Amino acid sequence: MSEAVVPPRALWVPFPLGRPLGAVNDPDFQKNVLRRALGLIDTAVEPTIEDYAIETPDEDLSENWACPVNLSSATSDSLSERLLAEVAMLRPWAIETRHQRGRTLFGVTGAGEDQVDDVARALATIADSGDVISEPLIDGISWTFEMPLLLRHMADDLRTFYHEAVTARPGESAPNHDALNQWIFSETVLGETLLLVADGLTQASNVPMAQLVRGLLIPEGYYKGGSAFPDQVNFPIDR
Amino acid sequence: MVRLTDLHPVEAEHLLKRAKDMPAIGPGDWVDPPSVKEATVAIVSTAGLHRRIDPPFTIGSLDYRIIPGDTQFDDLVLSHISANFDRSAFGQDPNIVFPIDRLRELASAGEIGGVARWHYSFMGAMPDPSQFEKTGEEIGRLMAQDGVDIAFLVPI
Repeated sequence: MSEAVVPPRALWVPFPLGRPLGAVNDPDFQKNVLRRALGLIDTAVEPTIEDYAIETPDEDLSENWACPVNLSSATSDSLSERLLAEVAMLRPWAIETRHQRGRTLFGVTGAGEDQVDDVARALATIADSGDVISEPLIDGISWTFEMPLLLRHMADDLRTFYHEAVTARPGESAPNHDALNQWIFSETVLGETLLLVADGLTQASNVPMAQLVRGLLIPEGYYKGGSAFPDQVNFPIDR
Repeated sequence: MVRLTDLHPVEAEHLLKRAKDMPAIGPGDWVDPPSVKEATVAIVSTAGLHRRIDPPFTIGSLDYRIIPGDTQFDDLVLSHISANFDRSAFGQDPNIVFPIDRLRELASAGEIGGVARWHYSFMGAMPDPSQFEKTGEEIGRLMAQDGVDIAFLVPI
């Protein structure tokens, strides 16, 4: 894609998407990437794409990650009860991470930091009902997105909470993107819920953007072993 | 960024198709800025970053958000629509996506001239990057007014 855009100076890096500066909490590593990229200012005399071949030191560890929280099987038949039970098991650790960091990414939907249960309950209700059109009505939440796009961000808020929970223990490795997806979609009620919501979006073929939102909801490869995007994807332009 | 072989095969196929269909754009006019040691640097992110008070990005967004240089990380969120990148890393260390502290450290060490007052954020996920031309030109004018010499584009 850089070759199509032809930027004046570009540094190709081998890092996973979402980690453009490479290593988390490693200022020296990040500064070395910056130095190499900015160094092109002084060396490039024409449009240049240079490769940065240095790998991050922690990728092997994160691939071998295992969830430190024991999510035991719930006995309820209710998806909502099982999801809320799972959230409850993770909550102490998510709170600890928020305390350590002094911040959270939870809340892009408009929900407050302490409204994780509300978001989870709303998502489970939508998964059960298949209603991907009606906006969930929850006291105290003014959603920042309309349906069905709201579903995509409800998923992100809950993924944020889950990741906060599993990264609370110091000295232990954090899951990389693949490990986190693998865990969520094969071992958690959240993953089960998201796949049911995706099925609901499939059924709602007459709802504008439903199929596109399905593709934005489920990472590639995790919807029935393939892509959740429809065969033809047309991104509308929001002018 | 990222090797295709490190992606899920479905995602790799999707991105290859996007790259093949992407219209060619550049190159633009060549500019020689001041030396890095004298240059003021601004970050331009395509991670869909914004402050909590800002409206979120949505599908097809072509607009930008301002990120003042003194924004605290607890005020930054991501509303990028894609589920196919690791946003947990930003939660652990925001500098991995928005390296403002790293730029400040380089400036303190005299390795760059300075850090801009204002930085900018877009949301990528637009198959045709030429759609950003008008907004991009506006950002360029704003940065020039702000004394910025180098725009450091950080994709997600």
